[in-house]
Amino acid sequence: MTQDERTIARDRMRFIKNTQSSRLCYLGILFDVFFFVNIYKSDVGTYYYNFKIGVSIVYNLIFLLIAFLASEGVKNYKNEYSYALLGLGIMQFVRIFILPMQAHNAMTEVNDVAVGVMGNGQFTTVVIYLVISGVALIAAGLINLKKYKELSEHLKSIGETA
Amino acid sequence: MAELSLQHIDKIYDNNVQAVYDFNLDVKDGELIVLVGPSGCGKSTTLRMVAGLEDISNGKLLLDGKDITDAPAKDRDMAMVFQSYALYGHMTIYENMAFSLTLRKENPNVIHKKVLAAAEILGLTSQLNKKPAQLSGGQRQRVAMGRSIVRNPKVFLFDEPLSNLDAKLRGSTRREILLLHKRLKATMLYVTHDQTEALTLADRIVCMSMGHVQQVGTPLELYDSPANIFVASFIGLPPMNFFDVTVKGDTLEGNGFKVSLTPEEKQTLAGYDGKEIVLGVRPENITLGNDIPVKVTMNENLGMNTLVHGNIGDTNVHMTAKLKGWFDYSNGDTATFSFDRKHFFDKETTNAIRGGNV
Repeated sequence: MTQDERTIARDRMRFIKNTQSSRLCYLGILFDVFFFVNIYKSDVGTYYYNFKIGVSIVYNLIFLLIAFLASEGVKNYKNEYSYALLGLGIMQFVRIFILPMQAHNAMTEVNDVAVGVMGNGQFTTVVIYLVISGVALIAAGLINLKKYKELSEHLKSIGETA
Repeated sequence: MAELSLQHIDKIYDNNVQAVYDFNLDVKDGELIVLVGPSGCGKSTTLRMVAGLEDISNGKLLLDGKDITDAPAKDRDMAMVFQSYALYGHMTIYENMAFSLTLRKENPNVIHKKVLAAAEILGLTSQLNKKPAQLSGGQRQRVAMGRSIVRNPKVFLFDEPLSNLDAKLRGSTRREILLLHKRLKATMLYVTHDQTEALTLADRIVCMSMGHVQQVGTPLELYDSPANIFVASFIGLPPMNFFDVTVKGDTLEGNGFKVSLTPEEKQTLAGYDGKEIVLGVRPENITLGNDIPVKVTMNENLGMNTLVHGNIGDTNVHMTAKLKGWFDYSNGDTATFSFDRKHFFDKETTNAIRGGNV
C-alpha cells in the first residue's frame, strides 16, 4: 500500500464505522452465551446451590451489558471502550479458573454415588467457548485502539477534532 | 460521450392501454432534455422505458448507437433520481452514496474519492456522517443526486425530483441541478409537470399530452412559437388566452371585440379570410390600450405585476392580462386593452397557423 493509499484509507475512517471491532465484540458475546448455557447443564445435585451461581448470573448480565455498549462504542472509535473490552476479554480467561475449573476438579454425590461435577467433554467445550470469547473481545479492543490512534493522528493532520 | 436515440417507441400495457405513441427523440451528448406534460401524459412511462424499468412495446432505444431496447436496467449505465429520494434510512449519507459502488465491489479507496468529490460538488461534505432523517428535503434530494454522480453514468434520469419540496427549496434545488448539469456536462433526461422547471432547466423541451409528443424544441420555441393550442396553453403562466375569431380582411372579429392585423399577420392568415380561427394571446402580451373593453372581475397584485381578470365587453368571454406595475381595479370597473403579440391556431386541427400554412 502506498502512502497515498494509506492516507485515503485513514480518511475513510471519518465516515466508515469500525465494524471489524464491533463484529468481533458480537462474536465474543455469542460465545459467552454458548458458555453460559452449557456451564450448568449437567445434573449434579446441589453442587451449584451456593452464592457462586448468583454471582455468575449477575456477572454475566453485567458482562453482556458492557459488551453490548462497547460494541456500539467501538463502532464509533471510542477509545475508552477498547479498555473495557480488554478487561472483559481478560476476565473470560480468568473465568476458566473459577467455575469450570473448580467444577471439573470437584466430586459430588448423586443418588449416593460419587460423580465428577463436570466431565472432560463439557469442560473442554466451555473452556473453548470462553477462550474464543476472550480472544474475540481482546482483538476487538486492540483493533479499536489501533484504529483510534490512526484516526486521531489523521484528524489532527487535517485540522479536525474527533 | 452519451447520445441517446428513441425511435418510434410505443408503450402498450397488457390490458391494451397505450400510454406512449410513436415517441421519437435524439438526445445529443451533454444535452438536458425535459419531458413536460400533465399527469398521465406518458412522460414518466417514457423515462422508465429509457431506464429499463418498463418494457418497450415497439421501437428502438439506442445509446451511443448501441441497441439497448431489451438490455436489463443494470446494464444500461444510467442513473435515476426519484421523487421519493429512495435513500436507505439506516445508512449514513456517506454509506448511501457509496452503496452502489460497494455492491459493484469497487476498491474502497476509489469509492471514498468518488463520494468525497460528489459531496463536494453538492455541498454535502459536512453532512456525510448524518442519517437521511436528519437532513432537509432538499439535502436528501441532493444525496439522491450524489448517489447517481458517484456512479458516473452515461445518462442521468430525473423523475420529478423536486415535487416533494416546498416552493422555496424547489427553486434553489432547481438551480443546483442546473449548475450540476453545467459542471458535469452530462446527458440528462428530466421529467416534470412543472413548466417553470422545464423552461428554466431545459436545453430542449419535449411537451407531451395523452401519450403523444406535441412539440420538441427549445424553451423559447415552445413559449414563442407553440405548435398547437395544447402547447400554447400548457407553457406559460398564467396560461394563454384563447378567443374564437373570424378573419375579415385585415381585422379579426371576436365576440365583443375587433382587432386589426399587421401586414405580417395578414400574410400569415392568407387563405383564412372569412374563416374562423383561434386567436391566442399571452397575458403578458396584453397592454393597456383602446381596442378591447374588459369588465374587471378580479384584480391580483403580485408586486411587480398585476393580474387583471375580466370579461370582454358584455360577453362571457374571459381573459386575463398581466400588466407591469401595480393596479387597483375593482370588480365592475372597465379597462381597455390592446393585444401586442398574437398567436393563430387552426380551429379544426388546433395546430398553429404559420406563414403560408393553410
